[in-house]
Amino acid sequence: MKERYRNRIELLQGTLDLLVLQTLRWGPQHGYGISQAIRASSGDILRVDTGSLYPALHRLEGEGWIAAAWKVSENNQRVRVYRLTVTGRKQLASERSRWAQLSDAIAGVLNPNGKESEA
Amino acid sequence: MKFPLGRRRGSELDEELESHVQMAIRDRIERGESPENAAANARREFGNAGVVREVTRDAWGWRWLESIVRDLRYGTRILRQNPGFTTVAILTMALGIGANTAIFSVVYAALLRPLPYYQPAQIATLGETRDQTHLPDSSFANTSYPDYIDWTQQAKSFDSMGGYQGDQFIYSGSGNPETLQGGQITASFFSTLGVKMALGRDFLPGEDVPNAPKIAIVSHVFWEQRLGGNPSVVGQALRLDSQAYTLVGVLPKDFDFAPVSSPPIWIPINPTNGLERRNLRWLNIIARFKAGVSPAQAYSEMKTINSQLAAAYPKQNASVVIVMGTLRDRIVGKVQPLLLTLLGAVSFVLLIACANVASLFLARVADRRKEIAVRVALGAGRKALVRQFLTESLVIAFAGGALGLLWSQWGVKLMLAIIPRDELDAMPYLKAVQIDPAVLAFTVFAAVITGILFGVVPAIQMSRTDVNQGLRDEGRGASAGAEKSRLRDMLVVSEIALALVLLAGAGLMVKSVSALMHQDPGFSTQNLLTFAVGLPDNTYKDDLSALRFERAFSDKLRNLPGVQDAAVVNILPLSGNGSTVRFVVEGRPIAQGHEDECNIREASANYFQVMKVPLIEGRYAGATDVADKPPVVIVNKAFATAYFPNEDPVGKRFRFTYSDKQPFREIVGVVGNENEGQLDEPVAPTLYLPFEQSTESYMNFAVRTNTEPAALIPSVREALRGMDREVPLIAPKTMDQIVAESPAVFLRKFPSVLIGSFAGLAMLLAMVGLYGLVSYSVSRRTREIGIRIALGAQSADVFRMILTRGLQLAALGVLLGLVAAAALTQLLSSLLFGVHPIDAITFLIAGLALGLVATFACLIPGRRATNVDPMVALRYE
Repeated sequence: MKERYRNRIELLQGTLDLLVLQTLRWGPQHGYGISQAIRASSGDILRVDTGSLYPALHRLEGEGWIAAAWKVSENNQRVRVYRLTVTGRKQLASERSRWAQLSDAIAGVLNPNGKESEA
Repeated sequence: MKFPLGRRRGSELDEELESHVQMAIRDRIERGESPENAAANARREFGNAGVVREVTRDAWGWRWLESIVRDLRYGTRILRQNPGFTTVAILTMALGIGANTAIFSVVYAALLRPLPYYQPAQIATLGETRDQTHLPDSSFANTSYPDYIDWTQQAKSFDSMGGYQGDQFIYSGSGNPETLQGGQITASFFSTLGVKMALGRDFLPGEDVPNAPKIAIVSHVFWEQRLGGNPSVVGQALRLDSQAYTLVGVLPKDFDFAPVSSPPIWIPINPTNGLERRNLRWLNIIARFKAGVSPAQAYSEMKTINSQLAAAYPKQNASVVIVMGTLRDRIVGKVQPLLLTLLGAVSFVLLIACANVASLFLARVADRRKEIAVRVALGAGRKALVRQFLTESLVIAFAGGALGLLWSQWGVKLMLAIIPRDELDAMPYLKAVQIDPAVLAFTVFAAVITGILFGVVPAIQMSRTDVNQGLRDEGRGASAGAEKSRLRDMLVVSEIALALVLLAGAGLMVKSVSALMHQDPGFSTQNLLTFAVGLPDNTYKDDLSALRFERAFSDKLRNLPGVQDAAVVNILPLSGNGSTVRFVVEGRPIAQGHEDECNIREASANYFQVMKVPLIEGRYAGATDVADKPPVVIVNKAFATAYFPNEDPVGKRFRFTYSDKQPFREIVGVVGNENEGQLDEPVAPTLYLPFEQSTESYMNFAVRTNTEPAALIPSVREALRGMDREVPLIAPKTMDQIVAESPAVFLRKFPSVLIGSFAGLAMLLAMVGLYGLVSYSVSRRTREIGIRIALGAQSADVFRMILTRGLQLAALGVLLGLVAAAALTQLLSSLLFGVHPIDAITFLIAGLALGLVATFACLIPGRRATNVDPMVALRYE
């Protein structure tokens, strides 16, 4: 157990939005599904705290990037399902490019000499 | 955010979070955990549900508040960057909202605020009238004392009834004797209103019967200002009309009673000396419906009682009909149409102000195209843009509203200042005009509505901005703003149309006032001083002593320098007061109770000469028509026409029917129609008895002067003091003043001044709008004008081009305004006098005036256009 906790990484401020939007790209999903998907696709490394996930979902909904609707699941349970809106799709694109810039920048800081790193 | 939306959202959130846990549990069971472990682990993994709910809730509130704060901050920054624009917009809105708030606070005080009584809607007014009475307004019908008593005993529809009647006292306090207004009431009057004394007690049953002990109740103001606000004065004596009245109670501070102008002194009625007669109708009756009784039920019961009384007392009651109304109507009935008209008129000013500011905003759309395009490019949604611009307009509207609220207080003061004192006394509810929650709510409402009104069109316009064009366009293209400028044109056209409607309305009111002032009252109002004298009954015990006073004082007045002549009458013309009398003409038998009825006056022999009322036939009363000679009577022309249409009235005789002892009186003369009522009413049939044969202790003097009549007041006062130091001079006024302050004139003059000011404001705003539009188009077309001049256009051509465009808009506005005015001035018709609602000359003048001012508004920008230097204009790009 302890080992697994050590492997978890604190999410960078703002990256949760990106992860949620990216997850919803594949189709509408409820909160639990989103958290499971992020966990699965990060190889169990990224675990989203519900105390972060739900505020994020509701905030994104307020921004108009995602929209929510009540649906009935296959287990006959009422669930709140989120989907990506058109503006959300645009937002995802811009967040992705921002992330790319950021990770490039960080990589640059960590490896000041490009050649050295290639060697 | 918590209710009711918040509650529903809260339960939905709970359900969402619970579904998360349930799905986690189900997954764990599928993976092989025992149900108990699965549930426990899932809940542990989920964490503290309460905390999750809290932080998620925060996400809602924050977004909402944050974006508003951001919009506000951005909005105020933008507005501060354009101080000129912002100032003009705020001032315009302050004008509009301020004027509306002022009028609304008066309307609220008069028409909406509940009357200061217990369950005021339950209080009705009752009265008796006859078709023969010629009463101009039957809601003022009075009731006789015995009928009132019978009503209180028989009617089951009412909890209680009370009666009142205005009165006047000579009050001898510490200083000189003075005349005070008073009220005579039944003991049940205050309890029917539901008013409790602040101090002491109310009148008790049995204290309003003939010759009961003399007691009085005073107003709170009187108690405070004249009696030192000392509670121990209750039980002490007040000297009224040289008699001692024991003070038993003090009214509460907020009490007022408009129908008798909230007098300082109230005493119980004393139904003696003829007041107890069944056919003397002098009491105003109020009655409180029993709970659950509808006005219709009550009215039908009163009708039944009335016909029973008619059967029992045919002589007095055979032709009496019952009139029932509401107390509110009695109090505000006359001013209600006036106030609603003013509210309508002032709302036009607000509409124009909105149109003006919307037009300013639209002009800025073009200037802000680039900014908007940048914001759109940066990802601002259309909704966010609309919200942003609405925030800006609401900031302007609220700033204008706050400023307007301040102005409105000043406006209300100004408005009350032009109301004559007597009129204001009859509208005590206006003295309490103030910013109360309802007025504040109105202002906020006006600000929100106007903010949205003038904000939404430009906001939608702005949000439509095409990013690419906006970024490329330098904001100077001639064609780009075509749609916007058409919208601005429409706004300016409607401003001019609205202003024209107000101008036409004001013109009609002014014309009504002028028609009223030129209405012949039947006597000469110039150089006429009037005042009243009331002789106390216990020093002037009989008619002869009153007559002696009258003769001596009239002689004294005639000898004053500047005085031509002086006459006496019991009631002055144009007062709308006075009594009526029933009579039968000799040789014309009539069914009992169905006698004719007309105004009755008592006037000295020289009265008609002094008033300059022409003699039409016969003679005036003479020196020989004194008490012990055969009684004579003078009638007016209306009387002759009504009752002797095909006969010569002179020489005919009639007698009054209120007593069998009444002698026959001979008509000796017919005089012109002196208007005894109001200038806007037809002259009613009136008969005049010689003062020598029918004397009263309350007399009005009419003094014809050679000089300015008001200047004589001090010497008249001195002369009266020389006669009797205990008798005060009552209401000295010139007749011109009486006319100017009369309700008929006031009801037209007041709205004509106000609608006139609104029209002035409206015209100013509309012209600012037109001026702004034309000068803006000149600045936008600088380049085009430059090219035209470079290509050889004369400055006169350019001037004409600019002027034509402005004047086309003005002409369209005037035209639409005329059509609208023709439809709307009908609403004024109850206030108009002697002028048709669609008066061609008034409309023409209003149209011309507006056209003229519009030309001036276009001249300045037109002149500027001719000064465009083609070289500068072309280099401008």
